[in-house]
Amino acid sequence: MLVLTRKIGEGIVIGDDVTITIVEMKGGNVRIGIDAPRAKKIYRQEIFDRIVKENRDASQWDMIDLDKISDSLTVDKKKK
Amino acid sequence: MKKINTRFGEVEYDPDNLLHFPAGLVGLPSLRDFIVMPNKKKGPLFWIQSVDNPDIAFVLTDPTNFFLDYQLSPEESEREILQIKDGDDVFILSVVTVPQDQTITLNLAAPILFAPTTNRAIQVIMENSPYSSKTLLPE
Repeated sequence: MLVLTRKIGEGIVIGDDVTITIVEMKGGNVRIGIDAPRAKKIYRQEIFDRIVKENRDASQWDMIDLDKISDSLTVDKKKK
Repeated sequence: MKKINTRFGEVEYDPDNLLHFPAGLVGLPSLRDFIVMPNKKKGPLFWIQSVDNPDIAFVLTDPTNFFLDYQLSPEESEREILQIKDGDDVFILSVVTVPQDQTITLNLAAPILFAPTTNRAIQVIMENSPYSSKTLLPE
C-alpha cells in the first residue's frame, strides 16, 4: 500500500478525475473531501464490506429451505 | 440452447435471454450473466442462477410486496448502465438470504434495479438508508 503524509488542506490526485483533500482532523477523526465524477461509486469501507459479505452469504442456500419458505409464505397470504 | 451443471442439477438456458449485470454484483464483479429460473412453487420468491459460476445462485423477491413504501430511483449513471430511456420501467428487487433455520432476510441496503426492456440489472448500495442488509420480513 502506498502511504503518504498530508497536512490539512493538502490533497492527493488519483488518475485524471479523482481528488482527495484532507479537510479537518479532530478527536481522532479525519474528515476527507472527495471530488470525483458522479458515476464513480464511493462507499465507506465497512458498508461496502457488509454488502459483499451479505452477497456471499446469500449465494449459498438449499432448495429444500426455499421450497419450505415459499410454502409458508403462500399459506400466510391465504390466511389474510 | 446451452446447458450448465449447477449444484441444483443440469440447467438448460437460452444465451440470448439472460439477465445481464454489466458490473456484476457488489464484491462479485465477474458474475455478469444469470438465468432467471421459473418458479416451481407459488409465492413471491424466485431465483437466478449464475452462468459464470455454476455454484452461485441468488434468491430474489420484489421487496415492495412486503415494504410498501420502499422505493428507489436510478441515478443518471445507473440509467446509462441499464441502457434505458426516459419512461422505461425500472423494478426494484432484493437479494434474499435463506438460512437453514428459514428465517429469511432481505438486503434492503443494496437493492437490485432491473430494467425489463434491456434485461439489464445493477446492484446499488444505499449508503444513507435506514434499511438494513438483513431486514426481517414484517410480522
